Amino acid sequence: MDQLIIVVAVLPLVSALLIRLFAARIGRGIARFSVAMTTISFLIATVLLGWSLTGHAPQTLLLGNSYSILLFDPLSTLLSTIILGISLIVHIYSVRYMAEETAYGQFFVLLDLMTAALLFMVMAGDLITLVIAWYLVGVLLYFLLGQDTRSQTAYRFAFWTLITYRIGDIPLILAAALLYNAYDTWSLTIIFNEIMANPYAHQFLGLPLTEVVAALIGLAAFARSAQFLLHTWLPYTMDGPTPVSALMHAGIVNAGGFLINRFAPVFIHSGDVLNAIFIVGLVTAIFGSLLMLTQNDIKKALGYSTMGQMGFMIMECGIGAFSLAIYHLFAHGVFKATMFLSAGSVINNARQNDGIPKDEMYTFAVEKQPNKVRTPWLLMASITLAIPLVILIFAHLLIAEDYFQKQGAIVLLFFGWVTGAQLIFATYRMRTQNVWRLLGLSVLSLVVVVLGYAVISHAFDLFLYPDPAFRTQLYSAAAIDLLRFDVLVIIFTLIIVSGWVVTYYGEQNGYRHRKQTKRLRLNFYALISREFYVIDIYTRMTRFMLAFSGRLNVWLRWL
Amino acid sequence: MLEILIIFIAGIFLPLFPLSMVFNAILDKIKQVWIRVVLFITWPLVGLFIVSNSNPAIPDWLLPLSLFTSALYALRMLTLREVNQWNGFLATSLWSLLWLPMMQETSIVLLYGYAISMSVPLVLLVLLSAGLEQRYGAAYTGLYGGLARTIPRFSGVLVTVVVAAVATPLFPTFFIMFNMIVKTVSSTPLVAMVLLLIWLLWSWAGTRLIQGLIVGRASDVKIADLDMMAVSFYSLMLFALIVAGIYLSGVIL
Repeated sequence: MDQLIIVVAVLPLVSALLIRLFAARIGRGIARFSVAMTTISFLIATVLLGWSLTGHAPQTLLLGNSYSILLFDPLSTLLSTIILGISLIVHIYSVRYMAEETAYGQFFVLLDLMTAALLFMVMAGDLITLVIAWYLVGVLLYFLLGQDTRSQTAYRFAFWTLITYRIGDIPLILAAALLYNAYDTWSLTIIFNEIMANPYAHQFLGLPLTEVVAALIGLAAFARSAQFLLHTWLPYTMDGPTPVSALMHAGIVNAGGFLINRFAPVFIHSGDVLNAIFIVGLVTAIFGSLLMLTQNDIKKALGYSTMGQMGFMIMECGIGAFSLAIYHLFAHGVFKATMFLSAGSVINNARQNDGIPKDEMYTFAVEKQPNKVRTPWLLMASITLAIPLVILIFAHLLIAEDYFQKQGAIVLLFFGWVTGAQLIFATYRMRTQNVWRLLGLSVLSLVVVVLGYAVISHAFDLFLYPDPAFRTQLYSAAAIDLLRFDVLVIIFTLIIVSGWVVTYYGEQNGYRHRKQTKRLRLNFYALISREFYVIDIYTRMTRFMLAFSGRLNVWLRWL
Repeated sequence: MLEILIIFIAGIFLPLFPLSMVFNAILDKIKQVWIRVVLFITWPLVGLFIVSNSNPAIPDWLLPLSLFTSALYALRMLTLREVNQWNGFLATSLWSLLWLPMMQETSIVLLYGYAISMSVPLVLLVLLSAGLEQRYGAAYTGLYGGLARTIPRFSGVLVTVVVAAVATPLFPTFFIMFNMIVKTVSSTPLVAMVLLLIWLLWSWAGTRLIQGLIVGRASDVKIADLDMMAVSFYSLMLFALIVAGIYLSGVIL
């Protein structure tokens, strides 16, 4: 039965090869053939996931060469099923969506190859297979994004993606080479076992090897998951076909979360790196969300929304909640795939009926006209702050009483509380005849979401990391000393509360500003509208490199 | 003195800057396709033959010089528009790296294997470049563009050959580069970093070449695409390269 995992990974490859060879004979039937192969692969992956859920022990399968090893473990079976599920939806969607493309067959070949590369990536049991799959995902994505060969823009941004991914390959290759030199094997299982037995056995440049490798893995994950400064490709790659955008935002961009999870045994000995990962995730989440809010192009806003979500996912890893990051990537993947794939029908509906519905939500969200009539303000503020906190505490006590022993859980609770409070605050400002009824409903939805989230993430924890000692080690590795932690909590609370206060006074004054603050606001707006000048700086650097290259060629007479 | 002379001569064939200019000057002068093919196959082999037969002591300064040569040509590739010239620069950048495994005392048979695996995609590119010259009179990026729409089979082959040439998995050059990095990262991490940057520049130059040729609207002028026989030949060669890459990985990794 273990051997079936090979079938799961190989079927999309076989599909790509057969389509390439027999495209002329099969004609338009290639799409249905590709869908059929993906369906079979998905069904087998689902069976294997079920088998893994019943407690089947992890296995390694050697494919032939000394290094081609596939892993059959909870992480690989779960992610294979998710990848194939999303890939299947994208395949089915593409059958008609891409029908008018001249390179119809080529698209399905690339889609199948991408599915295979992603599967090999999550199933890789050795460093070489992992590096190869990791590298190929970038190359295949470049060609998928450049499906429309007439569009210079599509290729321009596909190049941004490729070059960022290639930059992300560098740390992964370095990490693989360092691990091989230290442990004299490519097998991830053997390397992890040795690290668990003696984590500080090897050094590199005077530093523990585990920390160096963890830092390199973190960097590789940042490039793949569009973390701040390596994010520019994500919001701009919207010129590719919609199914590719769906696949990219729902699956490929999540690879960073997977990689950190795969190297979890390294990260439990690299607490400082986890803290740095948390900070990078936090910065990305803030910048991504900020940029999303200021976009007037909905596609770019979606791109920045994904960036923000990736920030949250990386942040979850940084606080030791590794399995929560996997749940996050799954939930976000399904959500984003739905958004991208339903975009066409939304546009179609809008074309048929251009009357914009003037309902409460529209008035509130689009026209930004909150309710002017208020119920007692102090009471509402107390409810706003207290209810989410009560729900979160209740939800987590229900799952594990010792949850508050972990700093990571507190950070998550804190974010949950802030989000919940903002939800209720926003609900309160909506125009409605019965504000209490609306508030009741929003509290109920918050209970469902939080309980669901907590229960599911706990289930993911038990499935992916069944050893309680390992789970505790993960959270402990991410912990920081109590004083620093308390100071950080106070600082962030003050920032958020002052944000609320500024918003409140802004509303009270009707957003009138003094001259000095107006200038400051305009500068800040310019900074955001230029997307923090990151793209401008990269463009300058690229132009400089090209000019330098050209100058060299002239000096050396093109020889 | 004799050893220096041998290295000097070998530095022409396993290019070291500024001796590397000799190969590119010769390539620029040659117009016949079959001579270009022979040149691409034999050039590094001659260098390896000279070094392996005279067995000179390789001085330490050769390592930074070979890395510099490779990086210099990789960087210069970014702004080349003529396909044949681009191919020559990539060859220079690739072959100059052969000094590295030579210093690590890799067997001469394996070194010949490295040189041939590096050269085969370049030879295929020579043939494709000749195909472009035959169809359009010149093989320049950005000159006509839109090849993917005008001659889709030719473009498909061209893209795959470029991908193979710039050390993409599972082609042999990928495993050669990977092996060089594995062997240098612990002892000389700076060398590994430079190798990775050179590799990155190849990818960048490769995408610029691809974009300059295949992207754009279809030409109104009818141009003959590759026939199925030629496509089969290129596919077979590329498949053989992948098999060679997987085999080579089993030997060196």
